[in-house]
Amino acid sequence: MHLDLRRELEKDPWFVTSAGLALILAALVLAGPWLATHDPHDMSFRPLTPPSSEHWLGINDGGMDIFSELLYGIRNTVLFGLLTGVTALVIGVAIGLVCAWFSGWIDHSLMRLADILLAIPAVMILILVAAFFRPPPLTLGLILAALSWPTTAKAIRAQALVVKKGLHVQAAQQMGASGAYIIWRHLMPELFPLYLIGFTTKARMAMFMEASLSFLGLFDPTRKSLGMMISYALKYYYLDIWWNWLIPPILCLTLLIMTVTFLAISLEKVFDPRLKEAW
Amino acid sequence: MKGNLKSMRRGHYTVAYLLAALVMIYVSYSVPRWLPGDFVTAMYSSSHVTLNAEQEAGLRAYYTQRQGFGQYLVDFFTLRWGYSYAFLTPISKLIGEALPWSLLLLGTAHLLSMVFGFLAGVEAAWRRGGVIEKAGVGSMTVIEGIPEIGTAVILLLLFALHLGWLPAAGGETAYVTHSAGQRIMDIGRHLVLPLATLFLAYLPGNFLLTRGSMVMVLKEQFIETARAKGLPPLRIRYAHAARNALLPMVTRFGLRIAFMLTGALVVETIYAYPGLGTLLFNAIAMRDLPLIQGIVLFSSLLVLFVNLALDFLYGWIDPRVKYAS
Amino acid sequence: MKVAIDGLSVAYRTKDHALLALDQVCLNLVPGRITALVGESGSGKTTLGKSLMGLLPDYAEVKGSVRLDGQEIVGASEKSLNEIRWTRIAMLFQNGAANLNPVHRIIDQVAEPLIQHSGAKKGEAELKARENLERMGIPASQAVRFPHELSGGEIQRVLLAMALIMDPEILILDEPTAGLDAMTKSFVSRIILGARDQGKAVLLITHDLDLARNMADDLAMLYLGQVMETLPARDLLMNPLHPYTLALGRSYPSLESHRDLGGIRGDAFYRVVHRHEEKNGGLRPHSHIVGAGASHTNGHSPPKGCLFQPRCTQAVPECTEKAVALMEAGTHRVRCLRGGIATQLELKRVSKRYGNIAALGPTSLSLRAGEIFCLVGETGSGKTTLAMIAAGVLQPDQGRRMFEGRDMDQWIKEEYRSLARKIGVVYQNPAEAVSHRFSVFDIVVEPLKIQEQLRDKEEIRKRVLRVLSDVHLSTELDFLGRYAHELNMGALQRLCIARALVSQPSLVVADEPTSSLDPSVQAKVLKMMLDLQIEKGLTMLFITHDLGVARKISDRIGVMLAGRLVEVGPTVQIMGRAAHPYTKLLIASAGGEVSADSAGPGGPSTKGCPFAVRCDRVQEECKEVFPEQVRLKEGRHLAWCHFPVT
Repeated sequence: MHLDLRRELEKDPWFVTSAGLALILAALVLAGPWLATHDPHDMSFRPLTPPSSEHWLGINDGGMDIFSELLYGIRNTVLFGLLTGVTALVIGVAIGLVCAWFSGWIDHSLMRLADILLAIPAVMILILVAAFFRPPPLTLGLILAALSWPTTAKAIRAQALVVKKGLHVQAAQQMGASGAYIIWRHLMPELFPLYLIGFTTKARMAMFMEASLSFLGLFDPTRKSLGMMISYALKYYYLDIWWNWLIPPILCLTLLIMTVTFLAISLEKVFDPRLKEAW
Repeated sequence: MKGNLKSMRRGHYTVAYLLAALVMIYVSYSVPRWLPGDFVTAMYSSSHVTLNAEQEAGLRAYYTQRQGFGQYLVDFFTLRWGYSYAFLTPISKLIGEALPWSLLLLGTAHLLSMVFGFLAGVEAAWRRGGVIEKAGVGSMTVIEGIPEIGTAVILLLLFALHLGWLPAAGGETAYVTHSAGQRIMDIGRHLVLPLATLFLAYLPGNFLLTRGSMVMVLKEQFIETARAKGLPPLRIRYAHAARNALLPMVTRFGLRIAFMLTGALVVETIYAYPGLGTLLFNAIAMRDLPLIQGIVLFSSLLVLFVNLALDFLYGWIDPRVKYAS
Repeated sequence: MKVAIDGLSVAYRTKDHALLALDQVCLNLVPGRITALVGESGSGKTTLGKSLMGLLPDYAEVKGSVRLDGQEIVGASEKSLNEIRWTRIAMLFQNGAANLNPVHRIIDQVAEPLIQHSGAKKGEAELKARENLERMGIPASQAVRFPHELSGGEIQRVLLAMALIMDPEILILDEPTAGLDAMTKSFVSRIILGARDQGKAVLLITHDLDLARNMADDLAMLYLGQVMETLPARDLLMNPLHPYTLALGRSYPSLESHRDLGGIRGDAFYRVVHRHEEKNGGLRPHSHIVGAGASHTNGHSPPKGCLFQPRCTQAVPECTEKAVALMEAGTHRVRCLRGGIATQLELKRVSKRYGNIAALGPTSLSLRAGEIFCLVGETGSGKTTLAMIAAGVLQPDQGRRMFEGRDMDQWIKEEYRSLARKIGVVYQNPAEAVSHRFSVFDIVVEPLKIQEQLRDKEEIRKRVLRVLSDVHLSTELDFLGRYAHELNMGALQRLCIARALVSQPSLVVADEPTSSLDPSVQAKVLKMMLDLQIEKGLTMLFITHDLGVARKISDRIGVMLAGRLVEVGPTVQIMGRAAHPYTKLLIASAGGEVSADSAGPGGPSTKGCPFAVRCDRVQEECKEVFPEQVRLKEGRHLAWCHFPVT
């Protein structure tokens, strides 16, 4: 069955496009520091210069090379997204499994906690924390993860409950398998599609948040970010430099978000049998 | 007996929301106490605002006062939200002025995108497999992938800068006296771009979701029965199918609020639209912590309230929910 | 209003396959009659129901014609269909509550057709709907609720009310009583009968044979999309003509049938049409029957020929080649090359004397292919004689015998061995039925050796091993070398059964095969024989003195007394409504062996009825004249009595 799904995935145009883009972006992220032509923090260049052979995208108002800034910005956004995505996923899976496996008051209280967290808009907390405490991005990422696990946890819990009732689990229990064994060998593999979907959705939201928060100026100003670049470039939109300073980060951000969005949509389409259309 | 179940479930969720509200207020209350020592100087030294000694003392006093939580609550409900040092106005007044603008923008955007998204989704699902449907789904997915920042900037550059058809910023043209009718037109012109941006941001989600759940509903047995009853296709499509497809959309709205808030924030800022978003942006730029606190708390509670309302709405739309154990 | 279905074929198209749901179905629905469409899953019955209303999905290819009083349904526009849907023809679908919109109230859904079709105002429509619902036992307080608040039984009543709201002329019901409690079931049945009495044409789609038999006037048996037989409902258990009908009747746990559940060998789930690429690049369609274990290479149905053939107990080579059409046969229509269930064996007035003693008076009997016939009687009743005559072992003095349509006496004279191959005999005493010098293997292989059926040593060996495993005996080498006296009675008898089966006969004659076994062993052997009979499609002539055993395994019973048959008929009939006093006595003695106080001195040479001596209804006539054959109401039930019990 897994092979079937993988083949379907490979045929889906959204998946193919986003996978391709993802690979390119991954390459950019990994190779960023080496591809950059200059040190993005270097402010020694003449501000607001149009692009040249030395500075492919020109120079911003602070005297920094835009192209290098761009590369570092992409890198930071992606890393933030990945970190938060993974953390939120891990927390969500752990809590979801615990709830499904133990039931009873543990399940009850954790789900109530999830309800409360769902009611609180994460972005507001982030803004509050960022504005007051100016924590490093890592901390913010972890806070975001800590606020966004409920949706994943609920999905994992629902599916785990279904699998738990399955006959192969009962059979293993009859054979004397321990809880850990069953979770490891029976439950977790079944939840695999949910991991992918959960991770992609969380990563997408995290990247979006990162861009928005840096746009609002809530991160350390020396940290390069696409949102921050857009924010600065926007001030000068009426000048002629919009096309080399404003558009590139917008484009990159759009491509980034688009990639993760398409990935999430195609994964959902293939793995959620209820969404599959017949013929 | 059944009536009791109904109110029990209601009570259940309301409790969660009340708890969340209390938590938010408490966090807002206690955050200043977590701040390190003489942050006031450290914060304001690097900002654009220069405080005179009196203001600085006032601020410090505000943040070090050992006010009880109870008193804080009372203050909160009587709209004594403190004073903004950047704008030199009571916070409640600032929020009060910005709120209608935000409501206008967000309310209209959501309404329009839901109505259009829903109708388009229903019709697309009905015509499944056709060129129109495929094109619709394809284009909507692409638009879904474009973040609000992108759309906003592109629209701004295109329509405001390049073509000059619409104003680039603000809610209305400043320093001009208009008649009521002219004022409405003016506000309208300023509203178009931010509204369009948010509309494009919200539309795909609603469309795709409606379409998805319509496709599933159309496969249900009772739709075939409706067909067998010889009912006209329009009635089957809306009274029977779409009515059921409505449910997931309502649920999803609640879950997406966080996402939508961020986007709205950014869009308002880009267009300098005088709503809560821009207010917040300015507050952050000017390091006006009390104002930031106030806006965050207020909007979070607003969101909570909306969620609660949605919960009730869902219960009203879906008769099964009332009695689900 | 009459419904005429003519040559209806429906195939569901997937990417490169098509699922054949219906194949050239012809059926008529008549007002004032309930027609039951009986079939198992994959037979296409729901598809048939839906096609009457034009409700098939877009990917269904429909050919043929469905006419409602001349109006053609196939290919009609949605608009014209909507006019007759619900107003002239309504359907009650399966799956209860799933047919109701969860967010609309019950009363709204019942009133909806009225509002939409006849333009009634909401108030009037609701009033009428409420009336209908009340008639169905749903009070007004329930009517305003939502579907999820009602129980399964209530939902079914609601669906009925909804279906009948526009008083349609044609009513289609798909499994209307599945999963319902007894009370609701009887209520629903009454409503359906009521609808019939009002002159509606009712199509009842079901796999529940009891329901079909009790409610319907006519039955149509559907198998893999083809109608195999149409028959009056009362003939279902008594007089099925098609092997499938017979087998299905046997498979159904009914309170009335006595024989243990059978089943049908093999599997068939549905039919698929593939397109295969030929070597020259063209596409060739051919069809499969898909079942468990059927793969692409071995799951092929014959390109033409009978669909039921792979699972039929009486298939002949012709059945795989010639296509079969539905043909008239009295009140039935049957789709079978052999005209329905064939007669395996026919005995016409055979009799035998041993010197002075008339062991068997003139007796006629016919065995249908695939049935189990039990001859019951006391010692000296002549049952063994009759059975051995049937087996070809004894020659009758008078009378004729036909086996598979061929005269047995001729056959025996010409080439006995080829006949012997087709008949296997199991004797009463296994210990004596085998030679003690023979090993297990030798015992079983003997018929093959004698009849020279197979030449190849390997083939022979395989056949022996297979039949040994069929009777659940070991196939290990050292077991094969054992001798008879080393085995217990149960194993020995099984060995004899294996020997009887090794030549793959079509008739097995078993003479009290379990009488000398312990009760627990007896049960196992009987069960095994029953399973084998189904697996291999054997006809069995089973002799026993034990009515209890007869009841458990037979389709038909023949009661013998003093060399004559006194009563013959379907087991159900004999056990429930025996006509002959002697049979009643046997039944009353409840399985215990009736004391063999003889049938009177002089035995069968006495004229008159042999039971006259013991009968409590005896009259003068009985002592003088042997009773004529009396044909009882239910067709195949015969008794020889002047004053049969009715």
